[in-house]
Amino acid sequence: MANINNKISWTHLTSKVKQLIVAVLSVTFGISMYVFMNSFMNGVNNAQTDITFTSMSHIRVYNDPAGEPAILLSQKSTSDTLTMVSNAKHINYTEGMINADEVKEVLQKNKDIVAITEQVNQNVFFRNGVTKVSGSLSGVDTANEIQMFNTTEYITEGSLNDLDKRSDAVVLGTGLADKLSASMGDNISLTTADGVNKVFKVVGLIETGSGSVDKSRAIISINTARQLLSKNKSYATDVMANVKDYNDAKTIADEVRSDIKYKTEAWQEGNAQLESANTLRDIIAIAVSLTILIVAGFGIYNIMNMTVSEKIREIAILKAMGFDGRDIVYIFLVQSVIIGLIGGFIGLLLGFAVASIVDRIPFKIASFDTLPITYLPADYILAMIFGLAITFIAGYLPARKASKIDPVQILRG
Amino acid sequence: MNVSIIGITIITMGVIKNNKMKALTANKITKYFHDPETFQVLKDVSFDVNKGEFVSIVGKSGSGKSTLLYLLSTMDTSYEGNITINDTTVTGLTQNQLAKFRNEHIGFVFQFHYLLPEFSVLDNVMLPALKLKKKSKEEIEARAMELLTLLDIKGHETKKASKISGGQQQRVAIARALINEPAIIMGDEPTGNLDSKNTKIVFDIFRQLAKEKGQTIIAVTHDDEFAANCDRIIEMVDGKIIQ
Repeated sequence: MANINNKISWTHLTSKVKQLIVAVLSVTFGISMYVFMNSFMNGVNNAQTDITFTSMSHIRVYNDPAGEPAILLSQKSTSDTLTMVSNAKHINYTEGMINADEVKEVLQKNKDIVAITEQVNQNVFFRNGVTKVSGSLSGVDTANEIQMFNTTEYITEGSLNDLDKRSDAVVLGTGLADKLSASMGDNISLTTADGVNKVFKVVGLIETGSGSVDKSRAIISINTARQLLSKNKSYATDVMANVKDYNDAKTIADEVRSDIKYKTEAWQEGNAQLESANTLRDIIAIAVSLTILIVAGFGIYNIMNMTVSEKIREIAILKAMGFDGRDIVYIFLVQSVIIGLIGGFIGLLLGFAVASIVDRIPFKIASFDTLPITYLPADYILAMIFGLAITFIAGYLPARKASKIDPVQILRG
Repeated sequence: MNVSIIGITIITMGVIKNNKMKALTANKITKYFHDPETFQVLKDVSFDVNKGEFVSIVGKSGSGKSTLLYLLSTMDTSYEGNITINDTTVTGLTQNQLAKFRNEHIGFVFQFHYLLPEFSVLDNVMLPALKLKKKSKEEIEARAMELLTLLDIKGHETKKASKISGGQQQRVAIARALINEPAIIMGDEPTGNLDSKNTKIVFDIFRQLAKEKGQTIIAVTHDDEFAANCDRIIEMVDGKIIQ
């Protein structure tokens, strides 16, 4: 036997189709906005992170010689002696890591680390004719570099693999190429800090989307870079590692730190602004979408309140016939829950539809062709939970009011 | 402790014995209205109604007759005194217990029919029985059809309650009041809104129910002719019964 309370709820709902549609639409709108806003914000966050990680690794190991130079003279503190060392300088200063292979071995042992590459980075002067530009030169291990940074995706012309084919090949950032007015096939010369000159041929152009990187970075093969700086075969200035989930970079960096004698840094440590921007965007997305859901909740509250006022006589007669307070709460609560379920379900579909339409809107920036959208099941689940919770509350208040109606007052007129 | 429990049991049994033929007993009912100012509506009202009796309560407006009916109906619970219906003392029961009690033992007919307008005539009649859940849906439907036939509304059962005439609506309301075969049917001016022809139909139905089915009927009315044809008239003046 179908529950009589359900039947009454259903009859109330279906007898006012227009009102039902308005109520359902308000939930639909709220939930779809929640889904869309969060998909979009996650998309933006991921895009931002992707762009960031095109030139930055999750964990970076480098030689950080900073700090006060050690004063080797022992400081005797007798009353009649005064030792004074002024203008102390580093006298034995090692740039980079001469034994980068050791570092790589340590990193390889950690199972959370999925990719490792090494680089030789150096500030150099690029020259093309009279144009002189300072920039950074990255000597990269092409195979690992591609695996880690997906570099080939950002190559706009030429090929990164050509770096291994000839020792005088260079790939320029697009901004840098513009500054040097160099294009594919041109020869440019560079001068290292130590005054070594070498002519390179442009075999590719790269655009990562990060402007400052594109305007200053040139890439050559790591072996060429070692040669250029006259360093040994295991030399590298940076060893970089990527982990499975970039949010775990900090903990993993802490795990390997003790085994590495160089400075080991997770990306968050040097780039707090990225993390805080992501968090702020998330907060804004959730605040805006929750506000919309709450407004939808007020809509339902209003409609249910009207329904209760309209049906006040019916409620009184139901009570006279023996329906108790719990039945009345149930009857009206079921109505708003049904509105929440229908509206929520359509809202999820609509949210998905809007997100996938926005996903196709052309938006040309960096390596992106369309606006970024991330589809996370959690967004959909949370949208439904919030939506149902809000319709439940919005429905419960009028339902409780209905259950407290005194039938005598209404029926006596 | 034991002694007092036994004492209560004996008293209860005594009440049952006394009320064997009583459908309803009101004992020293006193009620005040507090709004806008304290005013005593009912003053120590006591009376019995026997099973199968057709009683009408008459009186001028403000005499407390409707107030009394709503106390007897168990919907209004703020009073002093005791009310026993069908051997159950309803005074002091919780709202939810009272709702269940009304569902099973009391049928209501009001001046305005108060049908649920979006439901069909048949659904309206079945509603209290579906709530009571003592019979299967098929049995309830058969019983409802029987009542609709008895009250001459057969053929309209699938129509919406708002789409039939006033006299028919009032008869549907009576069918609804009868569906759970309540011990007592209470009417608040059940014919107040009907023309003389429909008034006669409704009265005859009540008469027949009391006579043939032994159902007790208590109706508040302004209609002197209606009252005159009842088994008993309880007349109220200023919150007291004058016989």
